[in-house]
Amino acid sequence: MTIKAAYFNLGGVAEGTPLTMGTHINPAINHGRNVRGIPWPPQGQGHNVRAWAELIVAERAALGVAYAPDVARLVQFSGQRIGMLWSETLRYRRNVAYEYEMTQVREAAEWLLSNSAIL
Amino acid sequence: MPRKKIGLQSALPIASASFAEALAAELGAGREYGQPIVYEHEYASGKVRVVVVWDEWADDPLEDRSAVILKAYEIAEGDPARERIALASGLTVPEATTAGMLPYQIITALRKGDPVTYEQARQAFLDQGASKLGNPRGLQLRFATQEEAHACRQRLIKQFPGSDDVWLVRRDIITQEFGEE
Repeated sequence: MTIKAAYFNLGGVAEGTPLTMGTHINPAINHGRNVRGIPWPPQGQGHNVRAWAELIVAERAALGVAYAPDVARLVQFSGQRIGMLWSETLRYRRNVAYEYEMTQVREAAEWLLSNSAIL
Repeated sequence: MPRKKIGLQSALPIASASFAEALAAELGAGREYGQPIVYEHEYASGKVRVVVVWDEWADDPLEDRSAVILKAYEIAEGDPARERIALASGLTVPEATTAGMLPYQIITALRKGDPVTYEQARQAFLDQGASKLGNPRGLQLRFATQEEAHACRQRLIKQFPGSDDVWLVRRDIITQEFGEE
């Protein structure tokens, strides 16, 4: 949600505005997929952390307010790490993650949260 | 007591030098077809979004692929080229297909008497950049645009004169096209 909030904030959506699938989420996904060239599989598309992270990096670059290169890479990197190890479908399964997997996701999520002010 | 400052860079993966050099060589070669396929999407701001579709990525995590792509541009074209890249992604053909990036495909309709054999068609597919990953039944020769697919078909027809009816271009039907916005 931190990345999504940053993306919609960039687009001028006021804080506190309820985000709906039809008005916000799906149009953003289609924009990412069709305009910004983000690889965005349809399966679980709203939960694809990697794709949302890449969308905000691409969107800022396209609008002329790009992140500093290292920040852009870390946003993408965090999204890639979380995207590789987490899926919303895990909610519905018995799953025991390896400790190193937990550490990788925790560190990536921690970086995004602690840097949310600059996203 | 040693005091060490940890910068942003330290959290990021380091690109495999040999992999980056191999991709840099491909960038410099400027081949007309075959893998890797490099898609560069330039935004109005001048920044570029790069996607490299390459089955060689299969054993590498996404974050390592991004690092390799940036390093490869640096080797092939220098620091300014690397700095223009806002976002770099590496995908295998099956991953790019799942993501909806390669909706066009060439398939064969081989019949007795055609001027191309199954083995020749298979080798031609591989030469054109077909993927052996993901589909145990056969090769996947895929493209992002209709123009790329038709250009490939023309190359195949040129290679095997009279084979026009062998090579068919088809487009995936994407489920979200039928979904609600």
